[in-house]
Amino acid sequence: MSSLSPEELEDIRRRLGREPSEIELGMFDVMWSEHCSYKSSKKVLKMLPTKAPYVIVGPGQDAGMVEIGDEIVIAMKIESHNHPSAIEPYNGAATGVGGIVRDILCMGAKPIALLDSLRFGNPAKSHVKWLVKGVVSGIADYGNCIGVPTVAGDIEFDDSFERNCLVNVCCIGVCRKKSIVPSIARNPGDLVIVVGNTTGRDGLHGASFASKTLTEESEEERSAVQVGNPFMEKLLIDATLEAIKTGYVTGLKDLGGGGLTCALTEMSTAGNVGMDVDISKLHLREPLTPYEILLSESQERMLFIVDPKGVKKVTAVFDKYGLQYSIIGKVTKERKLIVRFKGRVIVEIDPAHIVKAPVLDREAKKPSYISEAQAPIKYKMPKFSDLPKVILRLLSSPNVASKEWIYRQYDHEVGVRTVVRPGEGDAAVLRIFEGKLGVAIKSDCNSHHMYLDPYVGCMEATAEACRNVACVGGRPIAVVDGCNFGNPENPEIFWQFREAIRGLSDFLGEFGIPCIGGNVSFYNEDEVTGKAVKPTVMVVALGVVKDVEKAKTMSLKEDGNYILVIGETFNELGGSEYLRVIHGIHHGKPPTVNPKLEKRTVNCILELIDRNLVEAVHDCSHGGLAIALAEMCIKGARGATIDIAKVPAQCESFDQILFSETNARVIIEAAPSKLKDVKNILNTYKLKHEVIGKVCSSEYFKLCLNNRVAEIGIDEMQDAYSKALEKTLFSKG
Amino acid sequence: MKKFRVEVILKCKMAARDPEGETIRENLLLVHGFKNVESIRTGKYLEFIVKANDVEEAMKEVYRALNELRIFNPVIHELKVSVE
Amino acid sequence: MKVAVLKFPGTNCDEDVLHVLRNVLKVDANIVWHEHFKADSFDAAILPGGFSYGDYLRAGAIAAHSPSVKQLELMDDDCKPILGICNGFQILVEAGLLPGALLLNSTLTFICKWVHLRVEKTDTAFTNLFKTGQVVKMPIAHKEGRFFADERTLKRISERIVLRYCDENGRVTEEYNPNGSTENIAGICDKDGNIVGLMPHPERASEKILSGNFPDGLLMFKSMLKWMRENE
Repeated sequence: MSSLSPEELEDIRRRLGREPSEIELGMFDVMWSEHCSYKSSKKVLKMLPTKAPYVIVGPGQDAGMVEIGDEIVIAMKIESHNHPSAIEPYNGAATGVGGIVRDILCMGAKPIALLDSLRFGNPAKSHVKWLVKGVVSGIADYGNCIGVPTVAGDIEFDDSFERNCLVNVCCIGVCRKKSIVPSIARNPGDLVIVVGNTTGRDGLHGASFASKTLTEESEEERSAVQVGNPFMEKLLIDATLEAIKTGYVTGLKDLGGGGLTCALTEMSTAGNVGMDVDISKLHLREPLTPYEILLSESQERMLFIVDPKGVKKVTAVFDKYGLQYSIIGKVTKERKLIVRFKGRVIVEIDPAHIVKAPVLDREAKKPSYISEAQAPIKYKMPKFSDLPKVILRLLSSPNVASKEWIYRQYDHEVGVRTVVRPGEGDAAVLRIFEGKLGVAIKSDCNSHHMYLDPYVGCMEATAEACRNVACVGGRPIAVVDGCNFGNPENPEIFWQFREAIRGLSDFLGEFGIPCIGGNVSFYNEDEVTGKAVKPTVMVVALGVVKDVEKAKTMSLKEDGNYILVIGETFNELGGSEYLRVIHGIHHGKPPTVNPKLEKRTVNCILELIDRNLVEAVHDCSHGGLAIALAEMCIKGARGATIDIAKVPAQCESFDQILFSETNARVIIEAAPSKLKDVKNILNTYKLKHEVIGKVCSSEYFKLCLNNRVAEIGIDEMQDAYSKALEKTLFSKG
Repeated sequence: MKKFRVEVILKCKMAARDPEGETIRENLLLVHGFKNVESIRTGKYLEFIVKANDVEEAMKEVYRALNELRIFNPVIHELKVSVE
Repeated sequence: MKVAVLKFPGTNCDEDVLHVLRNVLKVDANIVWHEHFKADSFDAAILPGGFSYGDYLRAGAIAAHSPSVKQLELMDDDCKPILGICNGFQILVEAGLLPGALLLNSTLTFICKWVHLRVEKTDTAFTNLFKTGQVVKMPIAHKEGRFFADERTLKRISERIVLRYCDENGRVTEEYNPNGSTENIAGICDKDGNIVGLMPHPERASEKILSGNFPDGLLMFKSMLKWMRENE
């Protein structure tokens, strides 16, 4: 059954000058699915700035690549595995990790870190608990087994994700510029070799599965759920990197969505060459028809294009690791894909027809809920003496609470590169064994803010990711974006998508860095209830850390040090955790974003860190200033006394000051001896700032306003913060 | 009420892969000469001791637990239940 | 003096160990594919962490059948130092070179965190530079790290316990036992003290940038060099 529209079928007839065969129809079906072709999103994505002098590979190939130092290149890519994870969370998430790692690997880069960006429904619900536990152990088991550390992530809980969880995984890799292997076939005569797992019936039509919404029947859909084999993946990683060293691997692609069809057509089209392959030569798990072979999405397989002069050297590497391989054909001069089965030609087609899917122009319409979201906020302000209760409640709420239960299950240190670990700083920092050079990486998105205003919300996600990376000492140089939306055929959903990308483009343009790749996942919608997920664009920022030894964490370090807040706080409670958790109010205008201010703030933080003038750095996000300060106390196991009146703010009440999620704000800890220099630099960057308190050896987090003091025990905060998630996930319900 | 011993074997469905079974066969058995072993599937074994009035009731209780608590995932598992 | 860092299909921490040996200690070391490993070419062997054969069947169970085990037995005959880290420990146990078994953590999850350990025995190839009772800090990262030995075995190996999980003051308590190991055992040795197996990762605690001021793991590798020099 084809998912192609009548217009698309007509287009195919026109291109071929005839009716497509059944096999060709299957190939078009999968390649023109939303997941593979990006037909709904391509036009909109053109808005994004993608260029910079250090961008070696932009969007379009298997992974984006940027040069960060002397011939050193970082590869970065993000992928989603939402639909499979919603049905079989363990394997769905595991195979998501497998796929993204192979994308990095096939550029010739060694995968060095993973990030997981997740969204789930209310964790008190049993279905959600099942999904969370499955996804986390799926990512843990797979990532740990292949020896790639999962170093950072981002997770939020919201009802809109209840049936449609989001599982986005980002991977970064490192390689030398001269070792980059393109995902392009170029030289006629080169051999086409498939390596890895045997090809089976698993995963048939997985890509088109991702392009449909979930229904009751989906739960039983067996052929679309694949089981990962991380051991095989680890062998592939080791063998691929070793094979590349022979110098005879001229092109590489992983077999993912669209399977062999995708790899063969994309590699030949990109190189403007053809291929002549006999798929009966492929090592199989079970007898398959040619149609099934071409469309299978069996995991842990790679396509190698190899110079025939070196084939023995390359296949010797496969033999060493016990990997099966099949030499299925060769690259040819004319741009034509010839697929044979037992010698007989079954497909003969210009691969460009299949790859260059028609781009759609979807309709966009501003949803009615947007104006409702802007309605005024009315609530009963808490008493000042209730502050401890409010803060403790926020600290134990799912979107604020510590995610330690999750990252303890990830080996985040394998590779001995991880210098700033999960929970220690605003982003992860890895050294790359090139002098003192390192990279910082973080993913961010406030889905609720993005729902209230997709344009501003996406600008904010980008701002936050960049700010977080700067807070550990990394200069943000590029982003990738993982887009997750409902049904794009619904003009209101498409409006969300378009506005979000417009926000991302505008921010990147003003901030001055490119987007080097991304992923778009549509149809994250429950067909039965019609509920779409909140628009979520996971923005992952990559930063360059000049000196990993200067990397900063957020824990308060020493009693007597000053605490300063950089940036002004506005009355921007709209969409805040405070309003949602404490007052049950979900509407409101989300905080504004000022790209130029963010840039200035980032530059200032980087200079402060570079000059060793600060001891701890933490940005303000979920929960606002109060929560950021609380986190610094908890991590440092130290108290602090804060004078709320000193916070630079344009607010009318103390709760606005403490809980607004205003952007471009960072909290720093500075030693008394360095305070003068810190202030001078802040003034040079013309940033509003003020000393608001001190680190103190008492066991309390004290908030003072005029003559009133609210104090919370650090132990009590630590308890609420660190145990909440595990408690919720293992509670009855 | 009597006591019944219900044995549950959860095996990977034929359509789903079993990397553990494949690896044990290829990297252990085949390497050490057990060439006549065609395939190995792994699974989980659970033994339930259930209080019930009869066999049917005991089985019903076990099936209910397997399904409601998602011990059995029909997407990837095959089930074999026996009772004595 | 040459040190072999063994690599099995699925080993992950080989490059980490090599980095410490070559770059931090400037020792002649190589990653050796398990099928190519020959005892007489090396003076010491390290089995690093990872997931050999995916940990399928049981962690270390399939790697225990590797031809390299015979070579390790030859090295043992010469009392050469052999260190099994995490999966390496699991392989040595499955191969019968060390006693006991390593089972699923009592938490049923993978655990990645830094722990305190008390050094119980200092006359081994890898702890001779420590003091008995010294408290050190190293990270663990494993799912099947619960050391188990029955009563009889425990009696037999009571003098062969090298490291125990403890609190920052060296108190060995249940609260500070991360995975439910019998008697908080984190590392053991064979009867001559030249073969040591431990679940924590010393190679991740061998540099200040990762370890703070006390790269305790490095001392284990330095102890190995001392043993090698003294037994030359």
